[in-house]
Amino acid sequence: MLILLPQAIVDGLMIGGIYITIAIGFSLAYGVMHIIDFAVGEWIMLGAFLGYYLTEWTRIEPLFYLPVVFVLFGLIGYLFQPVIHRVLSGKKGNPLLMALVFTFGLALMFKGLGLTIFGFYSRSIPSNLSAGSLSLEWGNFFVTIPTIRLVGLIYALTITVLLNLLLKKTDFGLAVRALAQNKEAAGLMGINAKRTNSWVYGIYVGISAMSGVLIGCTFSISAQMGAKYTVLSFFIVVLAGMGYLSGVPWAAILLGLVQSFFLIYFNPGYTLLAVFVILYAVLLVSPKGMFGKGV
Amino acid sequence: MKNKKTLIFCAIMAVLLIIPLFTSDPFVLRIVTECFMWVGMAITWDVMAGYTGYLNFGHASFFGIGAYVTAILMMKYGWSFAATLPAAGLAAGLAAVIAGLPTLRLRGAYFAIATWALQLAIMQVALVLNITGGPDGMRLPPFLHPEFFYYLMLMVVAATFLLLWFLLERAPFGLKVKAMREDESGAMALGLNPTLIKTEAFVLSAVPAGVFGGIYAYWITFIDPASVLADIITDQAMVMAVFGGLGTLIGPVIGAVLVYAFKTYFWAYLSDYQVLYLIILGAMIALTVVFLPNGLWGTLTGYTGGKKSLKKGVGLDDASVDDTVEKKGAEHV
Amino acid sequence: MSDAILQLDSVTKTFGGLHAVDNVTFDVQQGEIVGLIGPNGAGKTTIFNVVSGYFPPTRGRVLFKDEDVSNLPPYKLAKLGIGRTFQVVKPFPGLSVLENVVIAAFCRHPRRADAEKHAWSILEFTGLADRADASAASLPLAGRKRLEVSKAMALEPSLLLLDEVVAGLNPTEAELTIKLILKLRDSGISILIVEHIMRVIMNISDRVAVLNFGKQIALGTPAEVAKDPEVIKAYLGEEAT
Repeated sequence: MLILLPQAIVDGLMIGGIYITIAIGFSLAYGVMHIIDFAVGEWIMLGAFLGYYLTEWTRIEPLFYLPVVFVLFGLIGYLFQPVIHRVLSGKKGNPLLMALVFTFGLALMFKGLGLTIFGFYSRSIPSNLSAGSLSLEWGNFFVTIPTIRLVGLIYALTITVLLNLLLKKTDFGLAVRALAQNKEAAGLMGINAKRTNSWVYGIYVGISAMSGVLIGCTFSISAQMGAKYTVLSFFIVVLAGMGYLSGVPWAAILLGLVQSFFLIYFNPGYTLLAVFVILYAVLLVSPKGMFGKGV
Repeated sequence: MKNKKTLIFCAIMAVLLIIPLFTSDPFVLRIVTECFMWVGMAITWDVMAGYTGYLNFGHASFFGIGAYVTAILMMKYGWSFAATLPAAGLAAGLAAVIAGLPTLRLRGAYFAIATWALQLAIMQVALVLNITGGPDGMRLPPFLHPEFFYYLMLMVVAATFLLLWFLLERAPFGLKVKAMREDESGAMALGLNPTLIKTEAFVLSAVPAGVFGGIYAYWITFIDPASVLADIITDQAMVMAVFGGLGTLIGPVIGAVLVYAFKTYFWAYLSDYQVLYLIILGAMIALTVVFLPNGLWGTLTGYTGGKKSLKKGVGLDDASVDDTVEKKGAEHV
Repeated sequence: MSDAILQLDSVTKTFGGLHAVDNVTFDVQQGEIVGLIGPNGAGKTTIFNVVSGYFPPTRGRVLFKDEDVSNLPPYKLAKLGIGRTFQVVKPFPGLSVLENVVIAAFCRHPRRADAEKHAWSILEFTGLADRADASAASLPLAGRKRLEVSKAMALEPSLLLLDEVVAGLNPTEAELTIKLILKLRDSGISILIVEHIMRVIMNISDRVAVLNFGKQIALGTPAEVAKDPEVIKAYLGEEAT
């Protein structure tokens, strides 16, 4: 069993890579709008299916469609955000509770739409890279790295670096950080909160959808996959500490490792249970995440 | 005014009590019995969402736990049905304590996530354990007396309604819970222990749900994870309560009856019911939130459930916490 | 056994390296009114939050009736007999004035009927009885401040922490509130009061503790404190060290 250890670790790192991208977008949206989006898994699912159909129709390598998916879903997110904003800034009832309920309703609606259009079957996106793999060997140990997973890891790193540059080096990034820090003051300094929020939400939805395509190439997709990825996103964000972006990669990798170890050493049916137990322990011991720096 | 309410309640109960005298059509009885059950699920869900301001996205956990406890005790240990119901409620309440203690100290987003994860985790456990029959589910001995279940469900739901009404609208507990919703940190200075009160409320909402689950198992005689632990149970209870109006007991009752009537009608006319129904539930939640944030009853009566309510429950906390949040967020973005 | 109902023993509270309260030591004797003054940001409200259990002290101890209560949560302290008001008043806006007070009264009167009776007597005492059924959100500022005091009183505390209950009121209202505070003292409740308005503090306090930048710079009778050169310095805005 020890012989599988390097493989488990490498697998975990590569699965974790994809989770990083999902959770970073999710965390970003939370940081700016202060609500968590229960529809995150559904955005992933919809993105995955868009990638699937584009590939099926044109028979072109799905990875080329990543920008298309990003732009399209970015636009959807951009146009959608004002509705959430309207709920959040409502005068009646309890806006924050209602916003949460709202995203939950959206998730339900998207899932229903997904099931109607795509049916109940699982599929996977046919990528030319799915078949190939790299093998490494030293002594008794060997590791197989499917090319597509390697690509996924490269994609994750690229997105992470790009987002980091966007936030740290551009005027837009400055506006986002200002908004996360203090809404009123940022507004006074001439930052258009509404537009910036829309952009952030668009970017988040775009990234989630794009990651969906990669998930589709690596694993399988179905209209019911959303809930699982929503829970995993929450798991990462809570483990990292809500709103603490720097913790996200570590939490995502940890999740990837948990998943690959359960796959290789235990019963994969217990993965979600293990995830819940870890989540529970973290909330019990350190509700601010592994680094104690969350909200 | 109080007498008027009592009168209306008694009148409705009287009508419901004599329905089985006029019809023995099992279909009608079944529909009405299930409607009672959903009224119960909606009002118990509202205990958390409406009264304490915490969203429970895993209400089905308690229903499912209750159903499985009844099934397992009857089938594997030979208990009588009546004896299993308190056990079903107890098990659900225990699960609520375990899930609530760590998460109810925190802001509502954590609670929402944790309850949802709990539901998924319990579903997985039910799928892999031997004692629950895994994906094949469990069969219970048929007991084909629709009237029995009709009256049982009616009595249990009515008792739950009265209990909640007494505790939340009459007893000190209700005021304490509302104080918690309105201003948790202020309430602490008045000698109220927030985690304790919220956990009590959570148990109060979970125990009846467990009992409903237990009755459901024996009534339908077959349970599996997909039927008693499914998202749709939580979703439906939630739609009913949100649509009817949170923070009251009447709102969810009205919501439950309307949504259930709609569902029943819809089911009869459309074969591909499940999926479209999901879309409709989702759309209904979204539209209610945008256009009727106080729900049907709240809009009709002008009840808003407290101006500041749920602010702390879901997003931002009071100013001090808020500041640290935002500073942290900015540092690391 | 000393006669002190509350003792702060070198209490320090830091927030991320910043000393909000630094090594503060004073006490409140049985039946005494102690004023806590200092310029903005001197740490007065932080002391209130430490004493009432909202923040545990970083160092030092808080003794209430000779018992160490440093790490008890607010609701336990309320049960022990520490009542407090908040500078930013915290009524439960969706509930009525009476209900607001009843919630506090549950602390000593677990039965609803008893709690209501007690709450009524307090509303009579504080002059809010005629507004009992109004929603707490509908009260004007003076009313909300008085409601804040009523709630703290309903706990039947032996020590009351009053945070700026006079500031923002017009002279007539202020006079009423001051009378109320004196009446409370006469009924045997010890009081620690933070107030911006010097005249109020100097008139009603038996002793005054002065804070500046989290440090305690003086403690004594109002007359002594008013003559203290460091206090004068701090209030005249010169470099205080």
